[in-house]
Amino acid sequence: MSSTQIASSFVEDAPPGELSNVITDIKALTPSESNLVSQLSPAITKYHETQFSTVKLPGSSSSVLVSPYNSLGNNRYYDSASNTAFDFDPVEQKATNAQSHSLDSQNADQIQKLYKGLRAHADEHYPAATVGVFPAESDSKIALVLVSNKYSPNNFWNGRWRAHYLFSPTSSSLSGAINIDVHYFEDGNVRLQTSKPISISNASDAVRDIAKAEKTYQTEVNQAFTKLNEGAFKGLRRQLPVTRQKVEWEKISGYRLGQDIGGGRSR
Amino acid sequence: MADQFDSALDLLRRLNPKNTAANLSAICSLVPEHEEELLASVDQPLEVRRCKKTGRDYLLCDYNRDGDSYRSPWSNEFDPPVDDAEMSSERVRRLEVRANEAFDVYRELYYEGGTSSVYLWNLDDGFAGVVLLKKSSSQTAASGAWDSIHVLEVAERGRTAKYKLTSTVILNLGTKGDALGSLDLAGNMTRQVESDMPVDADETHVANVGKLVEDMELKMRNLLREHLLHVNTKRTVTNASQTEEVYFGKAKDVVGDLRSIPPLSEANRERAAQREMINSMGR
Repeated sequence: MSSTQIASSFVEDAPPGELSNVITDIKALTPSESNLVSQLSPAITKYHETQFSTVKLPGSSSSVLVSPYNSLGNNRYYDSASNTAFDFDPVEQKATNAQSHSLDSQNADQIQKLYKGLRAHADEHYPAATVGVFPAESDSKIALVLVSNKYSPNNFWNGRWRAHYLFSPTSSSLSGAINIDVHYFEDGNVRLQTSKPISISNASDAVRDIAKAEKTYQTEVNQAFTKLNEGAFKGLRRQLPVTRQKVEWEKISGYRLGQDIGGGRSR
Repeated sequence: MADQFDSALDLLRRLNPKNTAANLSAICSLVPEHEEELLASVDQPLEVRRCKKTGRDYLLCDYNRDGDSYRSPWSNEFDPPVDDAEMSSERVRRLEVRANEAFDVYRELYYEGGTSSVYLWNLDDGFAGVVLLKKSSSQTAASGAWDSIHVLEVAERGRTAKYKLTSTVILNLGTKGDALGSLDLAGNMTRQVESDMPVDADETHVANVGKLVEDMELKMRNLLREHLLHVNTKRTVTNASQTEEVYFGKAKDVVGDLRSIPPLSEANRERAAQREMINSMGR
């Protein structure tokens, strides 16, 4: 693998909120390749669009999304709620050059309506979510995107919940995915990553169906932790031996003898 | 270039611990001059190899490696053979054989399967070693892997010895299903302990190390388990054990911070009502 390929794979694996730390480490590890960061720009842009990075518009306190659905090419994106287009610097993660941008779509009315619905849903269940609704697939579908980030590096954790859905106005079908990514790194390194495809064939009320699917999913995730603890985790190492007593190390050679006689040894 | 080494460690603390082995080898290809130091400092999941002479499985790590060869604790031979390998003294090898026998029993009692290996080597005032344990399981609904790496230093002082133990547990859990999709939880934690214990014969060393490792593994297992189980009650618990807090439960906790199952407006209304009540009581 070339240095660019290696560094690109590190960028792709960067935990929520830690992209700039990862880029700093990459720079330190490749001092002789001064243009590596510019060679990395496709990977960095891909990271932002896959992870639905958020950025504040110049002079605004509200965040907007970076995603494949609202890309205008050349690191320029638009926000359909405020009708604004902007340049996004993928390394500095800042927006500049904001200009008005009107939505050109046959589904413009529905997009605005779905945005209001998705925004209300987000406010009801996410302490800090950014949402966007955009025309997709040559204006035949509508993309609904939601991302909720919480960064607490001083407490050694960062997390991201992201979801995207493609809604077809003609067939009312809804398909997409929910992904959770959590990094916890106090005296160690813990990573939770989940992925759940969503497919609803008759989404009569798209936002309500999304809300229902997300709630069901979050409950499933919580149950999965309990099941892992009771199943896979317990199967790896017992809390105590079958005898419910700690090992008597002074008599450890006797254990072997006893087990050999009893035929209890597995190997 | 010490800062490159630090950057490599920082990067490995950020990237998914599930991919540590691949990321470590990628980093080594970027900074080959730090390879030896990195391989000696970064714990990664253990690989299993079968001893050609005894047919028994053993674990590979930096401590039984010489170039591309690894030494089996069962036969004391390198695979592939090494002509001029540095071997421990006869006394330390005898201790190593005893320790391998003892931890093989320990492994069966606690892991009911898996693989164990102990490697010891001489120090000026004693000896050092590593106790390795590994167990993997793979089922359709869930898979898991546990790797324990206990590095120990033993300073012998007449009838007592000072034991220093640095233990890392690497845990990987994964589960899949139609309703759940896929969920991967990977992590590692490290803890240290020091203890002075009496020694009257070489066998006592094996017993002392055994007790230390057994206590440490019990503690680390409980820490991992509690934080898987106690998540929902955590908010009602005081922060007394803040430093011990955490691992897998923390990951689950953060999900609850990202998204709330009960509507936030309800919670806000309750808070507002509570405030109003407190205010009216104050009047």
